[in-house]
Amino acid sequence: MLLIPGLILSVIFLVLPLAIMVVVSLYTTAPSSTGYLPIFTVENYIAFFTSPQTSVLLFNTFSLAFIAAITCFIFGFPLAYFLTFHIKSATFKNYVITLLIVPFLIDWSIRTVAWIAILGKGGIINFSLMSLGLIKEPLEALLFSRNTLYIIWLQTYVVFMEFPIYLAMNRIDPDLISAAKVLKAPPLRVVYDIVFRLSLPGIMAGFIFVFVSTLGDFITPNLWAGGVQTLGFSISRYAANFLWPYASVLSTMLLIIALVIMYVAFKVVNIKKLFYE
Amino acid sequence: MKVLEAKNLTKWYGKEVLALNKVSFEVDEGDFFVLIGPSGCGKSTLLKVIAGLLDYEDGELYLKGTEVKEIPPHKRDISLMLENYALFPHMSVYDNIAFGLRMLAKDRSEIDKQVKESLKLVGMEGFERRSPLELSGGQRQRVALARAIVVNPSVLLLDEPLSHVDYRLQRKLMEELKLLHKRLGTTFILTTHVQEHGLSLAETLMVMNTGVIEQLGKPDDIYARPATVFAARFVGDINLFSGEVVGKRNGRYTVKTELGDLQASAEGDKDYSGHKLAYGVRPEAVLIGRDASQCENHIEAKSVSTYYFGNSVECLFEARGGLSVRVNMAPEAATLPTGGESVVGWYAKDAILIEKPSVIEGLNIEEVIYGK
Repeated sequence: MLLIPGLILSVIFLVLPLAIMVVVSLYTTAPSSTGYLPIFTVENYIAFFTSPQTSVLLFNTFSLAFIAAITCFIFGFPLAYFLTFHIKSATFKNYVITLLIVPFLIDWSIRTVAWIAILGKGGIINFSLMSLGLIKEPLEALLFSRNTLYIIWLQTYVVFMEFPIYLAMNRIDPDLISAAKVLKAPPLRVVYDIVFRLSLPGIMAGFIFVFVSTLGDFITPNLWAGGVQTLGFSISRYAANFLWPYASVLSTMLLIIALVIMYVAFKVVNIKKLFYE
Repeated sequence: MKVLEAKNLTKWYGKEVLALNKVSFEVDEGDFFVLIGPSGCGKSTLLKVIAGLLDYEDGELYLKGTEVKEIPPHKRDISLMLENYALFPHMSVYDNIAFGLRMLAKDRSEIDKQVKESLKLVGMEGFERRSPLELSGGQRQRVALARAIVVNPSVLLLDEPLSHVDYRLQRKLMEELKLLHKRLGTTFILTTHVQEHGLSLAETLMVMNTGVIEQLGKPDDIYARPATVFAARFVGDINLFSGEVVGKRNGRYTVKTELGDLQASAEGDKDYSGHKLAYGVRPEAVLIGRDASQCENHIEAKSVSTYYFGNSVECLFEARGGLSVRVNMAPEAATLPTGGESVVGWYAKDAILIEKPSVIEGLNIEEVIYGK
């Protein structure tokens, strides 16, 4: 009974729009006021599966999101590890956590543009390298490349990776680590066999958070990664040109693939363990 | 041969808490060494220091003649069973036990053989595929024990192995631990806060109190001749009265206490004449009624309450000045109704004189005895 208001809201604001999107993806494109006619067709999907552009889009989108998630894990895991097991002072822990949240208190555009001061033509890095005489011309690739994109995404999303891992690690009984040490496990084995394996639900949750967020982010890649073609950006372009059905096809496909990946991930790792015993 | 030796071992938690205060002792190879003391006395800390899980600030610790300060836990020839067992929840019983062997890079068939053997040793065959989460407390304990012994350490440390299982299981596990110790011949170091466990398991007993050793020796020696009031209280039950030695005649001291002048045998080299000390007698050495009248020490007392334990009965008597005397006797001897007047008494040879309240300096013996 108490679930009914929530259920109604979910249907109105989540299920209904998605259903409309799926329906529109099956309409026929036509030069009408809405850009389509309510005549059902699968032509849009045929176009999607036959277009040579599709594979490029899919590969770009998913590889960017995947690498972003991996990058966030590479930084987020050790951070969570040190925060949980090596930093005893609660005050210091709070400082670190606050620092991680600070980028969220700053507007997206400012946060992103701030990187120009660091990576840009006259930015700190180029300036330093030129002053040291290591390079003669400023490096343009610093600012506009996929690496820049990963750095910006890392700054933005590492906290989504770090928090669930931190949560999972806090649930690990320190005695398990002691037991592993006494049972002759060298330090790296302790990290892998105990800490990594027991924080897998957190890692998986973090991975999904970062993966899904970067999957849907179409402005940042377009702005910083030197015009790399992503699904998100294509959707915005088609939508801007009133090609609603094709934009809907791309959206639906993105949604389906993301759902499949999440389903598989949930099957492999029991994320519930993050919250219950 | 000594397998473990600690010299002035000192461990601080932060700047305030001194967990181990210049602890020195030796453990012989093959010994069943029991650390006993109340919670917070530093016994678990000592085990963790020996295992290498905690560092120590001062002193020396030798394992088989080698100073181990710089040796990390995984390179020490030691195994530890933790108080909460710390079984890996994401691994099966088999993988839990095999863990240590895999770290030692044994080959598969060897691991398989040893895991099976150790499971048999603790009576847990057939549980290989189970998750530790599905096991009962007693079963978890057995798996933890198997996991600790399978790596065949020189010293096996057991932190409170009996504290989380019910009474009946405790007795069974005590027997099993003793048998296991005999069969393996490994040095066992066990901690407990329960005196019966300490007394019955130990070949050597070490009584600890807030970071210091109160007494170290054979359990029966400590029981018969406690060095301090603390040790006397922690190992067995005892009636204690504060007193002063006022005379020595015919190999006997006369001790002036609030119960009157009491007699105690004067044995040993030390002369207690004129000393303020604790006069003690174990409850089972106290007699009542006609038997008591024949003792050198006897006083009139009133029965206050009776506790029935099945194989024995404990009577609490109130003597002069409100001092209580506890008497432990066979059930058939406990015929006195509660509230009845009687005589309680004991022989001078059963009296225990204890000079120091504790090895910790600066304590007032009277305050320690009467808890004022």
